[in-house]
Amino acid sequence: MERNPNRFWNPYLAGVALGLVLLTAFLVMGKGLGASNASLRVGVTALEAVAPSHVAHTPPLAKTTSDGHPLDNWLVFEVVGVLLGGFVAAYTSGRLKKEILKGPHIGSGARIALAVGGGAIMGAAARMSRGCTSGQALTGGALQSVGAWAFMLSVFAGGYALAYAMRREWR
Amino acid sequence: MIFPFETLVAEHREVGLVVETLIGFGFGFTLERAGFGRAQKLAAQFYGSDMTVFKVMFSAIVTAMLGLVVASGLGLADFKAVADSASSSTYLWPMIVGGFALGVGFIVSGYCPGTSWVAMASGKLDGLATVAGVVVGQVVYAELEWRPILKGFHESGDLGNLYLWELLHLPPRMGPAIVAIAVAVMAVGCFVGAEKLERMLSSRADPAAQASAAGRPGRVVFAGFATAAILGAVLLALPTGTQAHGREAISISQMDLARRILDAPWKVRVVDLRDLKDCAVRRIPGSECVPADKLATLQLAYAGTNRDLVLVGASDLPSIPPQAVAFPGRVYTLAGGFRGWEAFALAPPAPPSPGASPADLEEYRVRAGLNSAMTGMKAAPPPPPPTAAPSGPRKGGGGCGG
Repeated sequence: MERNPNRFWNPYLAGVALGLVLLTAFLVMGKGLGASNASLRVGVTALEAVAPSHVAHTPPLAKTTSDGHPLDNWLVFEVVGVLLGGFVAAYTSGRLKKEILKGPHIGSGARIALAVGGGAIMGAAARMSRGCTSGQALTGGALQSVGAWAFMLSVFAGGYALAYAMRREWR
Repeated sequence: MIFPFETLVAEHREVGLVVETLIGFGFGFTLERAGFGRAQKLAAQFYGSDMTVFKVMFSAIVTAMLGLVVASGLGLADFKAVADSASSSTYLWPMIVGGFALGVGFIVSGYCPGTSWVAMASGKLDGLATVAGVVVGQVVYAELEWRPILKGFHESGDLGNLYLWELLHLPPRMGPAIVAIAVAVMAVGCFVGAEKLERMLSSRADPAAQASAAGRPGRVVFAGFATAAILGAVLLALPTGTQAHGREAISISQMDLARRILDAPWKVRVVDLRDLKDCAVRRIPGSECVPADKLATLQLAYAGTNRDLVLVGASDLPSIPPQAVAFPGRVYTLAGGFRGWEAFALAPPAPPSPGASPADLEEYRVRAGLNSAMTGMKAAPPPPPPTAAPSGPRKGGGGCGG
């Protein structure tokens, strides 16, 4: 099989494949897909090592430990699967490579700083909206949830609103 | 109904976790192959030259939505039951503000939370940085969301589990299919527009953001959508749908009901089905006395869905009474019925020891509050007389009725 790092699946077929994965999750597990709650659980695990009593007295954090260890949760197992799937797909397509992805006019340090900052904004935002693009837009969108559709339109609005200001990072 | 396999979240939890890992594998693999492990390709969505994000996301949404409509039509699943269990309820304002903020974070970091995991797995250091940022953001917001400074906003615009077909006042049976077909038509229209836009804007050749045209696979996908949409509509129009089978009673525990009637009584409607005179003597605080034979007068099929319905019998109810089956929201039956409730609520709880955990203290607070409400000096007011039935089905929406 030829490996061309710049060749991707046809977007519509990729979308159908993704939709079938989501449909499988609906039918088999009665659940959707999610990506951001696992991050909270990773954070709580780290925080528990430093300040366990603080975690116990903060209800939203304590909630992740109600079933025992914060990482003992289906969302964490799903993200482990995402990591494995992403790794295998990247390896077999020749895209597995240690690098920093960015536009031609920005330095690596600045790109990493923006990635951390943007990630932090998204982390807070995903908590605020009870899910991110996976758990809310994709899952809730397919299930016709009103909040998910309001969320999805807002994501595109937010992205387009700041695209011009961020053009130096990408163009 | 065959799906979902509920044992996978209960007694066969380990198997369920393996299945979740496999589902995650498929999720990560398709995201990577779609090009979502590459920040430039994701960011290109917002510069118009490569609409891959939009195309993949909407194809996926339409595929899963139509698939679930077809499965519901075949009687394999129940669209609303899956939607209730897999989607979160709507909190309109935090979702709009959170969505906007997530879009901002998306264009700044180049990923969304899910794709940042994929980028990290394929060796991208900026993906790793985004993952770290998301962890920090999640923990910081979780620290603040329950404190007075954010609590009001975080819980504003609570509409419960609200779906597009309910918003459009479509019938609960055909509604999901009608909306799914409309979304599929809209998506295909948008795809055609996206292809045109890409051709216009990608003249500024950008090798990293090479758009792939729809071509033949695209047309095959569109035809597949059309077939699934027609199939779903036809199957749902046939009289033997899932909802004709009746629904299974979901049991709610005494402690869960106690929490709900003390903490958020406006989100639950408790209907006591025992004889009027038993109900008059003692009943669950805030419950309505509606003997089982009078249940039809509540017109539950036309009631709003903003409150969950809890049915209370003398003891465990074996099934949901036929008059309540058509209730569009969630229906629970109280575990143990009223007899079990009395045993639970009339026994005064033991005061917690000095070093009790916050969870124990909270349980004591609920049980003590309940005990005083059931046994306090104040006698329960006499039950309201059953109101005359309205002449016709009440229209949903508009004001506080329902």
